[in-house]
Amino acid sequence: MLKKILISIIVFYFLVLIQTSFLVHFTIFDAVPNIVLILVVVWNILEKRKNHLGVINALIGGFFLDIFSNRFIGFYVLILVGLAIFIKLIFKRYVRIPFIDKI
Amino acid sequence: MKLSFKKNKILIIVVVVILLVFLLNVFQKEVRSLFYSFSAPIQKVLWGAGDSTSDFFQGIVRVKTLKQESDELKLENQELLSQVVALKNLKKENETLRQALDLGLQEDFKLALAQLIGKDISQDFILIDKGAKDAVTEDMPVITQQRVLIGRISEVYEGFSKVMLISHKESSFDAKVDNISGVIRGQGNFRILFDLILREENLSQGDIVVTSVLGRIFPEGLLVGRIKQIKRSDVEPFQQAEIEPFFDISQIETLFIILDF
Repeated sequence: MLKKILISIIVFYFLVLIQTSFLVHFTIFDAVPNIVLILVVVWNILEKRKNHLGVINALIGGFFLDIFSNRFIGFYVLILVGLAIFIKLIFKRYVRIPFIDKI
Repeated sequence: MKLSFKKNKILIIVVVVILLVFLLNVFQKEVRSLFYSFSAPIQKVLWGAGDSTSDFFQGIVRVKTLKQESDELKLENQELLSQVVALKNLKKENETLRQALDLGLQEDFKLALAQLIGKDISQDFILIDKGAKDAVTEDMPVITQQRVLIGRISEVYEGFSKVMLISHKESSFDAKVDNISGVIRGQGNFRILFDLILREENLSQGDIVVTSVLGRIFPEGLLVGRIKQIKRSDVEPFQQAEIEPFFDISQIETLFIILDF
């Protein structure tokens, strides 16, 4: 688990750097794609119900987004962790995708 | 018993996270400065790579419009050349008058060169590689090589600074078109508005807006943008105009901070 968290920290750090310094050159309708948000959402949808790395990833991704944004530290952490927990709850209670539980 | 232990564990985690967030916000300048200092080299490389890659793709996408744009630019160039000739004559006349009146020429700005290394993904802020150790302080204007106004320093770290773009929602300053004064207000997402212009004034599309010395926020004569659309209403005492900014953040690499004006 610790190894996975360490990998997540490195991956999200570089993703945020790519987002703030590389992807800003490629706007779609004046908006920059938020790859951290996309990854957190996809991860939480595809993750096994019993695992919690998706929420930890949301915390790590949110923290790095906060560091490189102009908002108070905790803003993106709250949004991403809230979103991750919401996705987990919805998928746990109301959605069943057969192939995901086998991953 | 087991449930109570689990509840306590969650409570402890929540309290620790809240405390951590609070502490990080208290020392946010130091924390951010630390991250910026070891991220800056990577960000510089990524910014350069993004710039050249987007140039390449834009070139492919815009091949069709380039010919038309080139023709328009040639025409504009000719017009500008004639204006340059007229201005040269005026400059000569001005210099003669200054000498006659024994007036010293206005000193140029004291500038510091800075490199753009990052942009806030959601707000109109950019990050540059000059900070307190380079004598940068808050509210200093930031311009491009072509004297186009970008914004002003809003936060200063040891070796980095955050620049609030003129398009930021909290940004407003005095500006003018020839002798018509008004206020430039940021609208967010790189949009700016020229506001509080008297209804009687005659603005026209394509007019160039420059900074005015009225508010003493920016030096006079810095380029802001070109009027894109004028909004007039019979019931309002003032008219507004949408401005197309002269700067394109994705195309900028180096900037100048005006240290003194």
